[in-house]
Amino acid sequence: MSLTNAPEVDQPEEPTNRPAPSYRIREWLSRPYARHFLVLFIIFTVVIMPAAWLVLHFMNQSGAPASAIMTDIETTIFVFTFVSAPLMAVALAILMYSLLGRDWGGRVHGEEPPMQESPAIRTNSLGVILWITATSLLAGFLVIWGLVELASITAGSYGSVPTNQQPSAVKPIDINVTGAQWVWNFQYPDQQGLQSDTLVVPNNTPLYFNVTSVDVIHSFWVVELGIKIDANPGAVTNIGVTPNKLGTFNIRCAELCGMHHAYMQTKIQVVSQADFDNWVRVMGGAKTS
Amino acid sequence: MSVMTRDIHEQAAVPQPTQHGKPGGFLRHTNIFTGVITGLVLAIITYAIGSKLVPWGTQNATFQQVGYQALIAATYVAWVIGFMAGIGAFAGPIRWVLGHDLTHADAEYMAGKGQGKFRYWKYTTDHKVVGIQYLIMTLVLFGLGGFLAMLIRTELGITWAEVFTPNFYNSMIGTHGIVMIIAMIIVISGPLGNFIMPLMIGARDMAFPRLNALSFWLLFAAVPPLVSNLLLGGIRDGWTVYEPLGSQSPVGMIGYQICIIVFAFSTGIASVNLITTAFTMRARGMSWNRVPIFVVGILSAAIMGLVWFPMFQYSQILALSDRMLATSFFNPLMGGSVWLYENLFWLLGHPEVYVVIIPGTAALIELMTVFLRKPLFSYKMAIAGFVGVTGISSIVWVHHMYMTGWAPSAGYPFMLSTELISIPFGFLVLVMLGTMWRGKPWTRLPMMAVYAVIWNKIIGGITGVYLSDVPVDQYMHGSMFVVAHFHFMLMGAGLFAAIGAIAYWFPKMTGRMLNERIASIGFWVAFFAFQLTFMSMFVAGLQGMPRRVLQFDNAFNVSNWLSTIGAYCIGIGMVIFLFAVITSWRNGKPAPANPWGAKTLEWQTSTPVPLENFPVLPVVTSDPYGYGVPDPYDSVEKKMAEADQPVGAGAR
Amino acid sequence: MSAAVESPRSATTGEPVATVARRNRLGIWLCIISDATGTVALLISYVYLWSLNVNNQWAPPKNAFADWWPFWAIVAGIVMSTALIWWGIAGIAKGHKGRLAGAAVLASLILIATLVGQIVQLSTFPFGPSDGAYASATFWLCLATAFHLSLLGLLVLAISLRTAKGLITTDNHSHARLVAMYMTWVCISAALGALVATTMLASPNTQMPLFGTFTG
Repeated sequence: MSLTNAPEVDQPEEPTNRPAPSYRIREWLSRPYARHFLVLFIIFTVVIMPAAWLVLHFMNQSGAPASAIMTDIETTIFVFTFVSAPLMAVALAILMYSLLGRDWGGRVHGEEPPMQESPAIRTNSLGVILWITATSLLAGFLVIWGLVELASITAGSYGSVPTNQQPSAVKPIDINVTGAQWVWNFQYPDQQGLQSDTLVVPNNTPLYFNVTSVDVIHSFWVVELGIKIDANPGAVTNIGVTPNKLGTFNIRCAELCGMHHAYMQTKIQVVSQADFDNWVRVMGGAKTS
Repeated sequence: MSVMTRDIHEQAAVPQPTQHGKPGGFLRHTNIFTGVITGLVLAIITYAIGSKLVPWGTQNATFQQVGYQALIAATYVAWVIGFMAGIGAFAGPIRWVLGHDLTHADAEYMAGKGQGKFRYWKYTTDHKVVGIQYLIMTLVLFGLGGFLAMLIRTELGITWAEVFTPNFYNSMIGTHGIVMIIAMIIVISGPLGNFIMPLMIGARDMAFPRLNALSFWLLFAAVPPLVSNLLLGGIRDGWTVYEPLGSQSPVGMIGYQICIIVFAFSTGIASVNLITTAFTMRARGMSWNRVPIFVVGILSAAIMGLVWFPMFQYSQILALSDRMLATSFFNPLMGGSVWLYENLFWLLGHPEVYVVIIPGTAALIELMTVFLRKPLFSYKMAIAGFVGVTGISSIVWVHHMYMTGWAPSAGYPFMLSTELISIPFGFLVLVMLGTMWRGKPWTRLPMMAVYAVIWNKIIGGITGVYLSDVPVDQYMHGSMFVVAHFHFMLMGAGLFAAIGAIAYWFPKMTGRMLNERIASIGFWVAFFAFQLTFMSMFVAGLQGMPRRVLQFDNAFNVSNWLSTIGAYCIGIGMVIFLFAVITSWRNGKPAPANPWGAKTLEWQTSTPVPLENFPVLPVVTSDPYGYGVPDPYDSVEKKMAEADQPVGAGAR
Repeated sequence: MSAAVESPRSATTGEPVATVARRNRLGIWLCIISDATGTVALLISYVYLWSLNVNNQWAPPKNAFADWWPFWAIVAGIVMSTALIWWGIAGIAKGHKGRLAGAAVLASLILIATLVGQIVQLSTFPFGPSDGAYASATFWLCLATAFHLSLLGLLVLAISLRTAKGLITTDNHSHARLVAMYMTWVCISAALGALVATTMLASPNTQMPLFGTFTG
């Protein structure tokens, strides 16, 4: 029994009268739909996560990853799928419960508008704040991960700094790539201007591509190594990568460039240093070192 | 919402200017046929005279006859001018210049009074007529784009042979793309923005009725030049028609460029009309916190379109100039830059996808409240979502250009802005989920579309997250993964939302109930086929298949076969849906004024809607979301809280 | 039911003219915004190509850039006719109908002269549109101004005719104001074009790679 005089009009409750916070959570959890929703949420989160493996399975069917950049890309996809799974699961759980659940009243079908039975909830501050927080955290995580990753692969692939200004233990191989309708031409300036239409490169050696076009926009895509840069007429663009797997991989044009765009493909062969030197000699250029 | 009456103006009592001729004047004699004939005649004359005058011999950078380009361009322009003259579009401006102002009788004639069905074939200003005209045009464009899609998937499905020549195939994908984009831009703002929005805000018509008619007929005039490209060698350059590849296309490309230039005017005028209507013609009492959310969505899309469309328009004007005047905006040999084209294009290109998806999202949010009989969850967050998306959409365009090498360090800020826009977009998803929460769904077709669309948004959204990351884009850009992503967003979340919205407002617009059994069969066939088609396409992209190719490595065969089978089934589903629309329109059950029991203003007037919309203009006293009953859990909470309180504590 | 007819009403919808005028003013603002994007597109084209100097083809042959004074003379012409129209509007607001009529006639003559001047400038450039990026961009800045001038000529002609007919009055001169608003925007658009075309001539980029090569 209290001796305080109660106020006549609505006022904030005094602290001693406010129910404990855990009471509200317990009360919410006591509602059947809340427990069902949480269960669905957990199930969907768990079910979505393996999609990450599925995505990578398809990407690796032709031999990827063949470089650190490609591995980086795959890790990113993996992580992004995992962190996005909870929010996707929330949406899916609500969709499913709305259609199939019972505690919200179940579905109505019929010609006439149904009776008004849904609760007139206009807002729920906690729900809104939780959502904004979760989506902002997710977006923030994705952005920071992306920015850091972009910086690292740019550093690892030499970004837009010319080759002769790179600090590097191993000297990168400069390759000039020219896209023309509808062939790729590769020229190795350090190997006495050796020209080729397939790309042969030594394993574990940094490569630095200077790419241009002599007619329309093409796009130089070394598929399993995970690099791509447009070949623009009137400009030179650059990208670098270090292959780390032996084998033959695909180079495809990734920007519509006319009639035979579909056929503008060639191969990249990642070989051992010795094989590369042999190839250079056979093609008429000098040894690299 | 509660509606009080207000007297209408006594229009006849206002002093009238001189009546020049019969009411309607020149427009009594014009219609779509006079327009088409005048357009064709003027085009033929221009071609005939022009081919005698054309200076043969001047060549541009790709060695094409510059004179011939100018001749074809002039012919297209003559078609547009002739058509607009023939349908009576110039009558209004000429009358204004000469001071022959419209009388009330003129205005009523132009609104279609007394013309019965013929008013749909004329330059009619009544927003309801324009809305129906846009609806028909949209269906035609989807039919054309869909037909091309079937041909494209046939080529990709027949992996052992080339069905079409590479040039024709490239033209087909380009035409399919731009036709669908145009159709998606107008699908909600055209039919529903025009027909429903003025009703929803309690107005008699839009702010500028004559501009309304103008925007529709400009669109009509723009379509034949575009479609004719397939007969004139095609646009062999995808819907983005990048330069300088575009300049290698034959004269059919000029049809595309003229279409976009004219369409940009049409869209700009329509945007001016929509925005002014929403700002200045709301009923008394409809303050900004009582406006139906659909209006806010239409407004957002109109603002984005108004501000950015001229960028796209100029990209085509300058490309046409490169072709005809041998200028070198995009020709690197003579000082031009391909990156200039790409920037101008994507400065519109990105807001454009929001122009496509925002109206559909707004329509679904609006109709959800009716079918769940629940208020909109967090109206403020919905507004914040639309405002945020509209604003941030202007600063994300470079994510379409990550791989161009244009500005490698631009990847950082634009990755940031692209992630940032997912937050306001997330507000819209919050509003949808929150409205659905604890609501009892009335599972009619418009509501079922909401479920389908949210599923598609989830898939489109996660794949968008992958693509927004620059390193991942290094793999995915230019592959079929991107194609699948944007189909999930523009078609999965855009078109299916439009189907739901059209199903919802069908009774008000056509006066008949849609045959929901058949329409639903079509809808769900299309929905599940859509999943098959585009999930397989994701797989093809992940495996490394580039886009815009008609032949490809055997590794991609299975994905393409599955996509093609799915695509045919989408076609079947869409045809079934169209069948439902057409048969219901012709002899469906007559619809009552408010079959859904909705509270927005358009349902408070009779069906069919009278010419003046409302006998008396309504006055609004609350927002249109007064559905639902008090939350039973609230009273439980209350009791438990009160049990803990001392005797005599203030009531909550 | 209001019986007050002191405020003039629109003949077609019966609404007060002031309501319609406010609506139309918003419409013109929106048109100006759209027009502004177009101007920005041309300015971006000019400045971007100037900064790149692709294949060293920014400058016209023999560095024959256009003279600065025709650009500014044209801007002056547009500014003069705009000022005249505003002056005329101020007059009619006070009741001097004749001022607006006269101003509109004079303004349209100035606009015609300016349009002729613009066409002359276009045809007497020391380069043609195919002579590189500067030539292309300058050409189009001037073409856009010519298009604006034609539109303005028609609008101002309409104002003078309507004033003469008594359709633009002291009580209801909103149409004249709307045209004047748009003319003011055209002044700005032309001035921005003149600014870039007369101050940003030689490109700062002298180290560009030449087409098809890997140097630079």
